[in-house]
Amino acid sequence: MPEFVHQQTFWIALFVGIASGSIGPFILLRRMALVGDALSHVALPGIGLALIYHLDPFYGVITFLAGAALLVFWLEARSEIPADAIVGLLFTANLAIGILIIPNDEIIESLFGAFPTLRTVFLLAILSSAAALTLCSFLLARRFLFSIVSPDLAKVYGTGRGYELALLLIFAMIVALGIKLVGTLLMGALTIIPASIAKNVARSMREYVIFSTLLGGAISVAGAWIAAKLHFLPGPSIVLLGVAVFLVSIAIRRHSI
Amino acid sequence: MNESTILTVENLSVALDGLPTLSNLSFSVQQGEALAVIGPNGAGKTVLFRALLGLIPFDGVVRWRTGARIGYVPQRFTVERSTPVTVLEFFLLNSPHFWRPRESDMRQIEEEISRMGLDARILRKRMGELSGGQTQRLLIAWALVPQPDVLLLDEPTAGVDASFEENVYSLIHRIQTERNKTVLLISHDLSVVYKYAQNVLCLNQSIVCQGPPLNVLSKDALARIYGESGYYAHGDHPR
Repeated sequence: MPEFVHQQTFWIALFVGIASGSIGPFILLRRMALVGDALSHVALPGIGLALIYHLDPFYGVITFLAGAALLVFWLEARSEIPADAIVGLLFTANLAIGILIIPNDEIIESLFGAFPTLRTVFLLAILSSAAALTLCSFLLARRFLFSIVSPDLAKVYGTGRGYELALLLIFAMIVALGIKLVGTLLMGALTIIPASIAKNVARSMREYVIFSTLLGGAISVAGAWIAAKLHFLPGPSIVLLGVAVFLVSIAIRRHSI
Repeated sequence: MNESTILTVENLSVALDGLPTLSNLSFSVQQGEALAVIGPNGAGKTVLFRALLGLIPFDGVVRWRTGARIGYVPQRFTVERSTPVTVLEFFLLNSPHFWRPRESDMRQIEEEISRMGLDARILRKRMGELSGGQTQRLLIAWALVPQPDVLLLDEPTAGVDASFEENVYSLIHRIQTERNKTVLLISHDLSVVYKYAQNVLCLNQSIVCQGPPLNVLSKDALARIYGESGYYAHGDHPR
């Protein structure tokens, strides 16, 4: 039985890690690292409400995250509103509400993740969604990059704001997929860390996305494996391993300059 | 709309932050024509381009001929140094083959780059590493790769060395005449306007004069556009 549990963890870590790595570069280049990091907190009241109404928490998570992505998109178009302050306050408020409404015995798991024990159907749904979202990131990479490099030129050449919304929604869905394993507090970080590492070593955009994708898979699998071996929670293990690799990448970069 | 008319503008008005920036502009542009837009700083030249491109809201009518492909060279363009996008990737933003560029794409990109006097090795550089002049030339090459019918150039030689400036204009002129492209050009250099533009549009919130430069750019008209002190804005003066 334990081997089976670990196998599930391995596959989720691999697929969700890869998906996180594939979308991270665009979130980072849009200077949304902090927003992206905090976005996952919004899932917490979703989990709480789902538990209260005896639904699978995943539905609460996806609803709240998609809502947060739409809100960020809407705020970005309005320069007269201090978007960063609103996002900061709202995301923290969600965290606070979530902590109040989630039952005590579920709170640690919701915040920091757990080794998943899912029904096979559900596991397959997560894995195939993660694979599909990774594919989307790659197919839309050019559009995402275009609107980052020059929103004006992008619009003139047919890459409108719809792609910015697509980016945020793909990002929100990837975060939703990883929350079971990594937790609401740390899942945002999983999308940012591989991209931050890859940025230190990549010489082109295509290298950047590919490195980040591979690193996402490797770090989350290795982190989950360490957690299983040492009986840690998977979320913190993955994030700490990622941060360690990031520090090494800075050293490499210094060395190579 | 006439067969050969590529752009018709009727009663175009733009207000930015509630302030009228352009009012009641009407003009049309023919296929293969070079139209220079001149006017002092703050006259609304760039705003006009942005309205023509649909980048800002406006009142009135802007009608491009159906299917006309538009190329745009913006006035200011910088890519952050830390963004790892290479020059080649910048060109591929407009190609559906971003991940695996086709040989024909590559040939076309290299051709336009060398036409602008740049070496193909620049394709491997990062956008953030380029000088202002290199970026400017690259932007023109970039706009030409998709074979546009119309080229909108917002001060295309800002930041290009004087020796190359003349090259850029004669090149643009060649593109216009050989490939029958329409060129809309914002310029401060009246010598360029006299030499290469069939028509000129003098702008200062509204249209002050329009027509062939030799006919409409009288001393009086220039004084009306730029003020009595003349047309020495931006350090350029007619040669």
